[in-house]
Amino acid sequence: MTVDELPTVEQLNMIAEDAWSAYLDPEGDTPLEIDVPEAVPVELSASVAVVGAWNGHLVVSCSRNGSRDVASAMLALPADELSADDIGDALGELANVLGGNVKSLLPAPSTLSLPRVGAGDDERWPGSVEVCQTVMRWRGEPFRVSLLHSEQNNTTREVA
Amino acid sequence: MKILVADDSRVMRQIVIRTLRQAGFGDHDVVEAADGAAAHEAINTEAPDLVLSDWNMPNMTGIELLRAVRASGSTVPFGFVTSESSDEMQQIAEAGGALFLITKPFTADTFRERLETILG
Repeated sequence: MTVDELPTVEQLNMIAEDAWSAYLDPEGDTPLEIDVPEAVPVELSASVAVVGAWNGHLVVSCSRNGSRDVASAMLALPADELSADDIGDALGELANVLGGNVKSLLPAPSTLSLPRVGAGDDERWPGSVEVCQTVMRWRGEPFRVSLLHSEQNNTTREVA
Repeated sequence: MKILVADDSRVMRQIVIRTLRQAGFGDHDVVEAADGAAAHEAINTEAPDLVLSDWNMPNMTGIELLRAVRASGSTVPFGFVTSESSDEMQQIAEAGGALFLITKPFTADTFRERLETILG
């Protein structure tokens, strides 16, 4: 696969906008802002691995408040009624939806892993390089979506 | 009618159930299963009229569930609701006996279109 055929930031943005409009902002009340030049305070990350003809990870990172907003919208529950499991589940499912759609743009056959969720900015994907990244803002909170490519079938992660 | 919703994400099960309601299918009974093995058991104990299953689940994947269900002789209408939708997966799902594959993110319109003939 050449660089030209890899998913682009524009495609990543479109996939994110579709997910947001379906699950997070179906009424269009709080639109997602894309391509926001903003630093993302990574307090929670969720990822799915793509393994097969193409190997890598799709990672969604955001602040605690951002992850709480995601869970509140997806479960249609007030933020103060959410458990930590709800928040991790929601962010993991968001990564799963984004990763599944990105996978359709990548060489087949490949499989998608179950989502993994971790706290902080300590997780690393050794040997991976970033293919593309987008930073978005929703309800005032920044979100980063990154697509990482690994040369080898490397689905294990190290904690720094 | 009774609908079994199988997904390892509680969040996604709630979204599927909410979307069923928004699509006009809120009068049907819904039972939930948190993985493929639990869904297999629920199909035997609850006798659902429709199964909406995720593809990628722990313990038993959605396609393994479908194959096990068909191997047991059940003809329960079965559809996938999954974040992946390659041609290969469509073919595998169809060959296994699935009626449809709905891709996440989905809308109430998608549910209405795909489920109307089954749920009425």
